[in-house]
Amino acid sequence: MPIRYQPADVDQTHAGWELLPIRFHRFDLSRVLLTNMVGEHLFVTGEDFDALMSGALPSDPQVRRDLAGKHLIRATGEDVPVELLAMKTRTRYRRLAEFTALHIFVATLRCEHTCQYCQVSRQSSANDRYDMSAETARRALEATFQSPSRAVKIEIQGGEPLLNFDLVRDIITEAQVMNVHHQKQLSFVIASNLALLDDTVLDFAAEHDVCFSTSLDGPADLHNTNRPRPGRDSWQRAIAGIGQVRDRLGPDRVSALMTTTAASLTRVRDIIDCYVEHDLRAIFLRPLSPYGFAARRARPTDDVAHWLAFYQEGLDYILELNAHGIPMVEHFAAIVLKKMLTNDDPGYVDLTSPAGIGIGALVYNYDGYVYASDEGRMLAEMGDTTFRLGNLHANTYTELMTSNALLEPLEMSFTHSAPMCSDCAFEPYCGADPVFHHATAGDFLARKPESAFCNRNMGIFELLLDRYHSDPQARQVFQRWANR
Amino acid sequence: MSVVECRFDASGYSIDAIQRAAYKFCDRFALEVTGDGQVFLCRLDFRSDVTDRSSIARSFKTEVLDQVLRERIRAETEGVRNVILAVAFSNAHLEPQ
Repeated sequence: MPIRYQPADVDQTHAGWELLPIRFHRFDLSRVLLTNMVGEHLFVTGEDFDALMSGALPSDPQVRRDLAGKHLIRATGEDVPVELLAMKTRTRYRRLAEFTALHIFVATLRCEHTCQYCQVSRQSSANDRYDMSAETARRALEATFQSPSRAVKIEIQGGEPLLNFDLVRDIITEAQVMNVHHQKQLSFVIASNLALLDDTVLDFAAEHDVCFSTSLDGPADLHNTNRPRPGRDSWQRAIAGIGQVRDRLGPDRVSALMTTTAASLTRVRDIIDCYVEHDLRAIFLRPLSPYGFAARRARPTDDVAHWLAFYQEGLDYILELNAHGIPMVEHFAAIVLKKMLTNDDPGYVDLTSPAGIGIGALVYNYDGYVYASDEGRMLAEMGDTTFRLGNLHANTYTELMTSNALLEPLEMSFTHSAPMCSDCAFEPYCGADPVFHHATAGDFLARKPESAFCNRNMGIFELLLDRYHSDPQARQVFQRWANR
Repeated sequence: MSVVECRFDASGYSIDAIQRAAYKFCDRFALEVTGDGQVFLCRLDFRSDVTDRSSIARSFKTEVLDQVLRERIRAETEGVRNVILAVAFSNAHLEPQ
């Protein structure tokens, strides 16, 4: 059935043109940022903004064309911008109908590392009561294949999953058998510290097209301080493992992820240099973890300021490397830039609304409990089971996905109805993170001015927009990242 | 003195705009509003560790003005926003006017 659109009353609009839904942010003393419903943006001068708000079009015809081109205004009654905004909106939300793409299996809590920032994996490597059973894994696979998503990634993690490699092997082979019927685009990742990597594992990975994700916190001294293990050789083993995977499986079959700690904050160049030196051409400059002892700090903004300084120095250094012909990507910026500069939404769990919990990822713990996110599982290991959706041995897939533990935080954190978010010019780039806010503020939404998540993201959005519009070389790099 | 007062003419400002603006500053002060139908009296009760109170109060007044603009944009574009969302999430198309 067609939808009839009646323009607003004449006395609410302006002769010949009218505003489309926009949000604004006073960027600095001279510029106002305008964004439309799908995140297309335009900077205008304060004078032009004032003119627009008082019902007059800016005098510069180029500015008027830009305003129309970015779907911020339209000729009265013109349908094309409405149709285009609708199409772009539909594109942005297309992933919602295809949940859940990432399924995380916690094969064991055992680990031979005792990392200072890990709340979940300090079980003795000899204690197999923290291993996932074959029956639990089978039920997790049944849940996995009930997800509507056509693409399914199974990530097997721990603890250290290679300590329970027999189960890892069973999960992957059984998934491939089940997929003969389901015909999903199936992929596998083993998240491992690589310390226990051997030929048996590599042979299996080669045969079953398995990728590896590992931890690399930066230079040896920093990494080994963060990630103690017997022999104090975690870094050496990770680097050796990266080389082995590359030699055997190919250069793109291993990626590295860093965890930022307080000790990292003054070392961002060292960390990036370590990645470059070992030919890892993408890095994710991640925020400090809010989970654990630092969860309920009274003034998180101090931490945000330190982290933003770390991030800015790192981003500028990466841009410098690119300018010198060394291609390097910062992952978080690339995700945000895709949302800023294209109509696509990469579906990154922390930057979607509705939130990515459950919809973007499900976590099957070793003991059969199912969590809406890995951070939700970490909270449970610390005694807070808010994000526990149920148990594979007691609940059906439908019960898990319609549980209040999932639906309530999704509904309560939705940014289109959240105070401050609903008016925020950066909303199309941002997301809801009910797990973070529950951990730091005690509710799924939190007051945004007090939220480290909000302050940090606003800082990043401003930084990226500033570099994009002030530095032609950064603009080129950002366009490449956005269109990867 | 941890409380700063300011007034807004009720004919030019809505309580919604004032409350939305105050929310942005909830990490620095709590707001109490009273009104007599003509004027809203706002009492900005600052946290004890906030020092630059008069500057923040000025920013709050500016933010109230911005919220009035946002209110105006919302009202002016509500119809078209609803149509865009309706078209986006249905199989329908716009009917030519």
